[in-house]
Amino acid sequence: MSRITGILKRTEGCQPNILKTLLAIQSELGHVPPASVPDIAGALGVTDAEVAGVLSGYPDLRTEAPGRYVVRVCQGESCVANHCGRVLKELEKKLGIGLGGTTRDGRFTLEKVYCVGNCAASPTVMIGEDVHGRVTPEAAWALLQDCR
Amino acid sequence: MMRRLYIPQDTTARAVGADRLAGAWAKEPGLEIVRTSSRGAFYLEPLVETDGPHGRIGWPNAAEHDLSRILRGEGGTPIDTIPFLAGQTRVTFANAGVTRPLSLEDYRAHGGFAGLDAALRLAQEKIIEELSISKLRGRGGAAFPVGRKWQTAYETHADQKYVVANADEGDAGTYCDRMVMEGEPFRLIEGMLIAAYAVGATRGYIYCRYEYPAAVRALREAITILTEAGYLGEGALGCNARGGGGFTLEVFVGAGSYVCGEETALLQSLEGKRGMVQPKPPYPAVSGLYGKPTLISNVLTFATVPSILARGGVWHASLGTEHSKGTIALQIGGRVKQPGLAEVPFGLTVEAAIEEFGGGMATGARFKAVQVGGPLGSLFTKAGLKIRICYDEFARAGAILGHGGIVVFDQETDMVELARHFMAFTADESCGVCTPCRVGSVRAREILDGFAQGRGRPDDLNLLADLGETMKQTSLCALGQRAPYPVLTAIEHFRKEFK
Repeated sequence: MSRITGILKRTEGCQPNILKTLLAIQSELGHVPPASVPDIAGALGVTDAEVAGVLSGYPDLRTEAPGRYVVRVCQGESCVANHCGRVLKELEKKLGIGLGGTTRDGRFTLEKVYCVGNCAASPTVMIGEDVHGRVTPEAAWALLQDCR
Repeated sequence: MMRRLYIPQDTTARAVGADRLAGAWAKEPGLEIVRTSSRGAFYLEPLVETDGPHGRIGWPNAAEHDLSRILRGEGGTPIDTIPFLAGQTRVTFANAGVTRPLSLEDYRAHGGFAGLDAALRLAQEKIIEELSISKLRGRGGAAFPVGRKWQTAYETHADQKYVVANADEGDAGTYCDRMVMEGEPFRLIEGMLIAAYAVGATRGYIYCRYEYPAAVRALREAITILTEAGYLGEGALGCNARGGGGFTLEVFVGAGSYVCGEETALLQSLEGKRGMVQPKPPYPAVSGLYGKPTLISNVLTFATVPSILARGGVWHASLGTEHSKGTIALQIGGRVKQPGLAEVPFGLTVEAAIEEFGGGMATGARFKAVQVGGPLGSLFTKAGLKIRICYDEFARAGAILGHGGIVVFDQETDMVELARHFMAFTADESCGVCTPCRVGSVRAREILDGFAQGRGRPDDLNLLADLGETMKQTSLCALGQRAPYPVLTAIEHFRKEFK
């Protein structure tokens, strides 16, 4: 909690902005612990409900710590046209998890994303902030092998 | 003698190996590697270029072992002879692939700030008049006349006005905003500066999506550079030249909500709230961010403004069709041979876009359908491809151009699965304000789940049509109003598959 308090301290004097604050916490902690909602609300001078509403309103805000590598398989139309479903199936099979799942060793979290703007090199897989294009099911698995 | 190699640093170029090449060749003696933006001919990436006697020479799909060949000048193609590029009318993307994204020197040498300079010589009303003459319409999807929007923001008196760039490029299949932000962020900011001066705004935001980390970094660096160079910040040039208070610009990162691309939801999000669509009026130009007049437009719209000011509204209005002036950035993707960005005057047929720029179908792929206008766009079959890409013809066909995305599907695409995918997207992304969208999208997805599992009932198609009609008529924003179109056009064209 002390790290959250530190982040909240930095927002003092600025115009209170719930989303910006939650993103700041997530960028340091990797997620926003739901237990911190009352502290955040208190620091920003808003209600718990307002903070919880923002936290649940955005798909990219996490309430649980993800795996060390967040693997996002793009489900945008160009990727769908290029049969990204096969990439996703391969990763689900090899990792033994479904969408939203994290491997037992905490290494990978598998997610979908609706478009990362790499449509001209579909299918796309994003690992962390790195975007990979023209990814075949085999290539996707090979990319994950490089994540140590 | 130092040899210079140009390697793009655009996300898609990097996604297919540009960084690997730059890294591998970095230690090569006598070699200078210059990282540029991408030309948008993404099927050629990584596209490595050298200086030739008459312009750049390109080595498409370059691999590490190609270096000696490139240095010997073997097998390169003069860039201006590549039909995909030669057939385009590049205006907003004229410098794509040519300049270094964060070099102010490059930007100035390639026409940068000519629009701002021209604007600062004009009275505010005259700038707005120029935009009205240009007949520029918003490029985000709604196609609202830009001059009229600026006029409203200008005429509304307030102690604070804002200019906001909508960089929440959420339409799957589109990436032109990303290319501008990563490749030439100064152009977007120049457009915003002109807007700020014209309407009297002193603060601005670029609301960029979470999925574009490279764009966010480029924009933040560009803002720092322009602040140091005296273009941005309190009391800086621009608005200040006419006694205003300068223009302070900030990047705000979203968190993955599609509906935040809708302007009222975006402004809610910018205030830090849950991104919920608000009824209009009041329009943001009258009462937007924190209740103040807010000029909000798409990235590409702002990026188009500098050339209009530099070359005149009449020039812009000379391009395109009767009601669709200027150029459109088509982003061609899916199962075509040559996916990439094609900037052309409005009026090209969809067929020509697919054949002339897309290069036809990818190897082994046969055309089944094409979706134009993003995830809310209608599907067309072969019979519909003669439609010209302009607002009026699309409106007459009940279709939209959206943000210019064109995604081609092949014979292996299961239309029931695709329709289910469209509705699942809406069900995931509905903000929930309008019941028909919130509940209707879930119901429609469930019905399509039924078809996908082979237990569709004959009456279900009528139910889908009925649901779709309700969503179209009673939703506040384009998500609910448009979501039925891709599904209903899929059923219309491929009815046999829905059983």
